[in-house]
Amino acid sequence: MTNNKKKKGGKWTRRAFIATGGLAGVGLVVGVGGTLYLNKKIKEYSGSGFGEGSLLNAWINITPDNTIIMAVPRAEMGQGVYTSIPMLMAEELEVEMASIKIIQPQPEPAYANTTVLVNHPRDIFKGMSFMEKIAHFLPLVATGGSTTIRDGYDQMRAAGASAREMLIQAAAKQWKVDKSQCYAEKAYVINRATQEKLSYGSLAEAAAKIELPGIPELKPQKDFKLVGKPIQRLDIPEKVTGKAEFGLDVRLEDMCYGVIRHATYHGGQITKVANQEEIEKMRGVKKVVLLPKGIGAVVVADNTWRAKNAALALDLQEIGDNTLSSEKINQQAEEVIANKLIATPLNKGEASDVLDKAETVLEGKYDVPYLAHACMEPINFTVLVDGDKAEAWGGHQGSSIVLDGVNAATGIAKENITTHITYLGGGFGRRAEIDMVLNAAHVAKEMPGIPIQLVYTREEAMRHEMYRPLVKSHFRASLNEAGVIEAWENKIALQSVMNSSIMRIKPAFAEAPKKDPLSVEGAADLPYDMNHAKVAFGQLELPIQVGSWRSVGNSQNAFFTESFMDECAHAAGQDPYEFRKTKLNSHPRFLNVLNKVAEMSNWSTPLGEGRYRGIALHKSFGSIVGQVVEISKIDEKKFKIDKYYCAIDCGRTVNPDTIEAQMMSGIIFGLSAALYGEITFKDGEVEQYNFPQYEMVRMNVAPAIDVHIMEVDEYPGGVGEPGTPPAAPALTNAIFAATGERVRSLPLKKHGYTFV
Amino acid sequence: MELKINGKTHSVDVEESMPLLWVLRDELNLTGTKYGCGVSSCGACTVMLDGLAVRTCTLPASSAIGKEINTIEGIEVEGGLSAVQKAWIEHQVPQCGYCQSGMIVATEALLNENPNPTDEDIDQAINNICRCGTYPRIRAAIHTAAEWRAANKNLPG
Repeated sequence: MTNNKKKKGGKWTRRAFIATGGLAGVGLVVGVGGTLYLNKKIKEYSGSGFGEGSLLNAWINITPDNTIIMAVPRAEMGQGVYTSIPMLMAEELEVEMASIKIIQPQPEPAYANTTVLVNHPRDIFKGMSFMEKIAHFLPLVATGGSTTIRDGYDQMRAAGASAREMLIQAAAKQWKVDKSQCYAEKAYVINRATQEKLSYGSLAEAAAKIELPGIPELKPQKDFKLVGKPIQRLDIPEKVTGKAEFGLDVRLEDMCYGVIRHATYHGGQITKVANQEEIEKMRGVKKVVLLPKGIGAVVVADNTWRAKNAALALDLQEIGDNTLSSEKINQQAEEVIANKLIATPLNKGEASDVLDKAETVLEGKYDVPYLAHACMEPINFTVLVDGDKAEAWGGHQGSSIVLDGVNAATGIAKENITTHITYLGGGFGRRAEIDMVLNAAHVAKEMPGIPIQLVYTREEAMRHEMYRPLVKSHFRASLNEAGVIEAWENKIALQSVMNSSIMRIKPAFAEAPKKDPLSVEGAADLPYDMNHAKVAFGQLELPIQVGSWRSVGNSQNAFFTESFMDECAHAAGQDPYEFRKTKLNSHPRFLNVLNKVAEMSNWSTPLGEGRYRGIALHKSFGSIVGQVVEISKIDEKKFKIDKYYCAIDCGRTVNPDTIEAQMMSGIIFGLSAALYGEITFKDGEVEQYNFPQYEMVRMNVAPAIDVHIMEVDEYPGGVGEPGTPPAAPALTNAIFAATGERVRSLPLKKHGYTFV
Repeated sequence: MELKINGKTHSVDVEESMPLLWVLRDELNLTGTKYGCGVSSCGACTVMLDGLAVRTCTLPASSAIGKEINTIEGIEVEGGLSAVQKAWIEHQVPQCGYCQSGMIVATEALLNENPNPTDEDIDQAINNICRCGTYPRIRAAIHTAAEWRAANKNLPG
């Protein structure tokens, strides 16, 4: 075992789950994840979707011609899991990446992601939590929270090791030798004494019948051949030829295209389509379907463009609040901070008292706006209802959520629903939502026998979203003469992402905790030494839907806290790097990352005239990321973002090339929000329609990015999201260095800043 | 109307104003060309029209009659992937991959016009949106593709 850091507790450990889940033979029924399930005959996996061959466990199937078919029950949305998960299995299975084919299995209990529910590295789990049990029971088969590697690092290697052990035992039996006389290499078992070889393909059928008493020893890290070394991704060749299939590319016989018009006002309702007959006479139009509760109307036609034109021509009668505005929302947030804080997740010492008595108090009132995910592939899903069966196609972060959605909308039993998960044209949390599945399934139910591809136009996708919430964060701090933080107070107001998401995805759990821990992730767990510290929050109640947006609470809290740290450094008359450095006495991993990024950027060497830099450090999803950005001043408020330096400690790595790519991606995603991102409300409607009003960083603005991955022998952290949080504060700290203006409200464009 | 796509003539019965994008995607099932914004802002729908990069989500199909349309499906050269496609693999450019058809087609058009583009030329010509932020690797891949095309040497892969 290379990982001995995980805490154990309760009756079942994570390892116990692997031992049962990872070793199940064909059709073997095992209890997974704890006593809750031991009494229930839950079939962990059906083996469907693998095609011919012999199934060695839920993840690995081998055909007679030695093709290794691996189940990857996670969404490939650019973060490289169709390569990294097979790498983990291949490392132990002793097969080459070229021999691997990938399938997306159906969402069955074996494939549950327990880590996704809690957004923490697994080593903080204390035995079987309630949420872990829930993850299996549902099951929750989902991709998000930068959890794929954290959830799978041991489990997937164990799946590979178990299959390899079964193959070796099958060979030993055939040769009538002890298994210690055999070893595995490149999909063959080799007899040490005779050097005879048997292919995995020839052994798989016999191997599938072997039951192992326990989990084989996993390789020590020093023996890794694949894991931790950069390799080319398996999905990239078909992404350069246009052959990669995304949800919108699904084409089925007799398929029709539906285009949705949501109710105009958030929380509003369409009561009637006044011109339905007229619309249904338009060329190509098949039907107009009003969705349940009047949340939208869908025009189905034989071509997306015809459906879109007809949807735009719909004459809708609607009810809803046409007075909602960003001004009102801002007022409500101010009131929440002043009078309606509901929880104090961090309360060390007497921060408020100290601040009330302090002679000099530093104050900073920060805010960020609503943000759209704006995945490049507009939201869509395809569903066919055929008698008592249904099939669903599309890119989704949760195959089990797809099943839930089709089931909820059609009433068809889950065992009669088949999911087909394609590539995702961006996810970022938006494709973990259920709305597109529910809506597509509802239309499909109204038009049985016809596959319906439901499409949200860019405008519909942008104006009716589950946004990153608007958030305010008000700070007070006091420092002593040496620059020690005596007291730090942060009051936060926002809509709860967790409560809003649960209402949509699992309405049965709507009574879940109201005090959303995601509100303070990255705000209440800072590494810096502070004598007194208090972080409190309150929640806004609004009809606007909010959801997980790449890095969730960290997306705003890193901007707030790392900007205010810079304010503190400035007030103390200290260099922002040195100021942080002196406050990381109990967090050596943070300090190492900070020092590394300072070294990479030659922090102590002044830049030339007209050039400035900013620094930020933040931990999220189990990984610590430090960034330094260099900018050039072109005009008073016109800048060029020259370069980001980025150091990451994500513990042990799987595919370093992907980690580098994810850091670049995370930074540019954060920059688009910092520079331009803002969803605003007026007269009950979202004011932004499309990219011209909701701009993105493009090639001309994108900086050079230099990434360094720290070598740290610890359990892996996530990489899909942690690159995003520090990007904005590093930049606004650099802008402060350049202009003396402290930007406390994003995006930068509203302060007149432009970037070239 | 008749449209010549990737060297082959297709006959379609559609409105004159239907954007070329939807003819390609929904009438001919050539789904490599993507819908991203519908307002010629993001470039996911880029194809080559007589060798020039055009955004097809707002281009009436009728205006492409009599012209050579080249989509991502027609980018491959005899013997396999083009230099641009190979450079994309070499630099491991795509992440989610959705915008990459448009990026690759726009790059082919750029290199046909300007075989050795500077960073400024790339900034000007390639203003498609990639939400995954693959721009640094795209830039590197364009330079590599330009070198390979100039050297006309045996390409890796």
